[in-house]
Amino acid sequence: MSERDERLTPAAGDDILAQLEAEVAHELEEHRPPPGGPAYQVISSLVALAVGVTGAVLAYGYGLGTLRRPGAGLWPFVVSMLIVVLSLLLLLIGRRLQDSERFTRASLLVLVGLATFVGVAVLLPIIGFEIPSLLLCVVWLKFLGGESWRSTAIVSLATVVAFYLLFLYGLSIPLPHLF
Amino acid sequence: MTILIGYIPTPPGEAALGAGLAEAARSGDDVVILNSPRRGSYVDVALVDDGSAGGLLARAEEQGVTARVDHAEHGADIVDAFTTLVRESDARLVVIGLRRRSSVGKLVMGSNAQRLLLELDVPVLCVKPAR
Amino acid sequence: MNIDAFLSGFTSATEPQNLLYCLIGVLIGMLIGVLPGLGPAATMAILLPIVVTVDPVSGIIMMAGIYYGAQYGGTITSVLLQLPGEASSVVTVFDGFALAKQGKAGAALGVAAIGSFVGATISIVGLTLLAPLVASWALDFGPPEYAALALLGVLLVATIGSGNTVKAMIAAATGLLFATVGRDSFTNTGRFTFDSLELAEGLDFVVVAMGLFGVAEILYNLEERHGKVHVPVKVGKVWPTRRDLRQSSGAIGRGSVIGFFLGVLPGGGAVMASLAAYATEKRISKNPERFGRGALEGVAAPESANNAAATSSFIPLLTLGIPANASMGMLFAALLVLGVTPGPQLVEENPELFWGVINSMYIGNLLLLLLSIPLVGIFIRVLRVRPAILAPIICVITIIGVYTINNSTFDIFVMILFGIVGYLMKKTGFEPGPMVLAFVLGAILEDSVRRSLLIFGGDPTQFFTRPISGTILACFLLVVLLPVIQAVRHRRTAPTTTADQPDRKDSLR
Repeated sequence: MSERDERLTPAAGDDILAQLEAEVAHELEEHRPPPGGPAYQVISSLVALAVGVTGAVLAYGYGLGTLRRPGAGLWPFVVSMLIVVLSLLLLLIGRRLQDSERFTRASLLVLVGLATFVGVAVLLPIIGFEIPSLLLCVVWLKFLGGESWRSTAIVSLATVVAFYLLFLYGLSIPLPHLF
Repeated sequence: MTILIGYIPTPPGEAALGAGLAEAARSGDDVVILNSPRRGSYVDVALVDDGSAGGLLARAEEQGVTARVDHAEHGADIVDAFTTLVRESDARLVVIGLRRRSSVGKLVMGSNAQRLLLELDVPVLCVKPAR
Repeated sequence: MNIDAFLSGFTSATEPQNLLYCLIGVLIGMLIGVLPGLGPAATMAILLPIVVTVDPVSGIIMMAGIYYGAQYGGTITSVLLQLPGEASSVVTVFDGFALAKQGKAGAALGVAAIGSFVGATISIVGLTLLAPLVASWALDFGPPEYAALALLGVLLVATIGSGNTVKAMIAAATGLLFATVGRDSFTNTGRFTFDSLELAEGLDFVVVAMGLFGVAEILYNLEERHGKVHVPVKVGKVWPTRRDLRQSSGAIGRGSVIGFFLGVLPGGGAVMASLAAYATEKRISKNPERFGRGALEGVAAPESANNAAATSSFIPLLTLGIPANASMGMLFAALLVLGVTPGPQLVEENPELFWGVINSMYIGNLLLLLLSIPLVGIFIRVLRVRPAILAPIICVITIIGVYTINNSTFDIFVMILFGIVGYLMKKTGFEPGPMVLAFVLGAILEDSVRRSLLIFGGDPTQFFTRPISGTILACFLLVVLLPVIQAVRHRRTAPTTTADQPDRKDSLR
């Protein structure tokens, strides 16, 4: 508490707000991975640049037309060129920014989570929503969430049953279902 | 040697604390009070705040027992927290409180107490609150 | 202002169905506010598929309730657990939790609730009076004015909003680019469709929003390091004393005004308002040392401000059709999907919707004032559920929800793709908010620009010669050039400071 007081004693009027913003940012960042380095900034700028260039090239192919009669590609081209310019700017000035986050071991959890989403998307039209959703819940509870087998089983089953009742009986929304 | 007391702010926990402190006073051991919250929760009602922890230590002092409170977190299995702390504090006895439960209740909801009884290597004293 | 329309709005808002949806909305909103991890924008995105199945007025009332309800909920955890449920309640933690530790949790929560209610109500009154005026003034807007305004709105969100400005602008521009995917209505050619039948229809707002806000947020939260477990402070006497109220009344008033103005500004919003209100109170206080140690003003001001801002941010959306922040962007998307075109004509063409929503806010805030304190116990119980248990439930809601929009598996994959994009953006410091906003505005913005060019006969300078669009574009240029001017000024003063430092070091020796 006393640390915070020291940081918030008003030196000049604007300082309070700036210190406050830093304080708030610190609170929100406490549980996040550490900031990534310049590599993250450079790579993201290059990706943005690639998006802009691709967009511009493709848009040019759709025909720019004239200002009097804009073609299909004019607006996307202008927007893409804007992306290109901004990405180049970011490449120049962005290297020292601290707003990226490092990929950590926890990021593997994100990959697993993503895989479950893809799995459900693939399986849903084939075997209905019940089993894929159940599998997703099991993965998220047991492996991503560190829950016990008992807790996993109860919550997964309860969730699937609840959604079954809600969507098929409550809201009467058609979903591919097996049971 | 130390006595490890598993404490939560409920009647069984209070019973365990009472019995554990009495035993420690009799044998002159130190006490480690394990008040373990579940990792990853926002709020755990089993956790006691610093003020209440101070109260627990004061009760121990009254009986002439040196105690400390440990807030080691546990994951899905509370037995791990106990095993680790038993090893670290060289405990000779673990004291826990038991809830009165029907056999069906235990079957459905599981029993931490049973797992502790079966898996801990040191003697476990199970205390029930007064009826 | 048309009194009849205003009153008929109350009739609409008090219909049983709309009352129910208002109640559901504010309850969900409070719940979201209490739970860290999901914000109102993400929740609104995830619930979009459900909202479109109901009556437009009811749906918007519910979504609005979620947004301003979340501002009430965040306070509870800030005060009782030192855990901010929403970014706009972080400032409340400082004095709120200090008060709770001194046994005054009830007073803090009470002052916060009253402050929130007053702030919101003042803001709604402002909305009621101002909105029809702005809308009628904006009716004269043609495509050039609208284009300039939309551009200014996106730019303000990128500059004033959180995150690096250049990155936000790149995100916004990319959003505009994504909006062009599909069939071009002017020339009937396919753009970026890559021979895909589904892509020829364009990207669905709802799907993209669910991906960028919903899925991205869920994935991002997986990397959250376990925080410490909290013990809730007991709430004693629930009501603040009369002296407490008198002490905080000034803060509430000032906070409401600050919140109202910062909420209307695109890119401003509840978070900025809460910070500004707290800083102002501290600056003008006679004993600033009290702040951070349990000053009631430190709770009253930000809470009034964030609620006032949340409410006033509806103004640009309802009157001009410009969303001021991500949550308003979700509301914009909902309106579009429900077949209602947001813009100045909304007041005239859809008065039941316009006034129904505004008047529902009076009711909603009253509900929140009455419910937020009694429900504290329930919310603490809800917080006992581990986030790991809630996560898969939200996943299933999201996936099934997006499927039900068009019965399309393709949509799920698009949502997943945008979820990946959103996650990577958050990891590298790009805010997804401006991208969603620009995406949602993109089609209408391009439409306006192209129509304008047709009107001008191909002469873009006429954007500047028309009085209104010219002024707006002047503001636009000002906002663009301001940071550049500041940077130049800083560089001019920098050489003197670096010259000073060696002297200081010498003197220390």
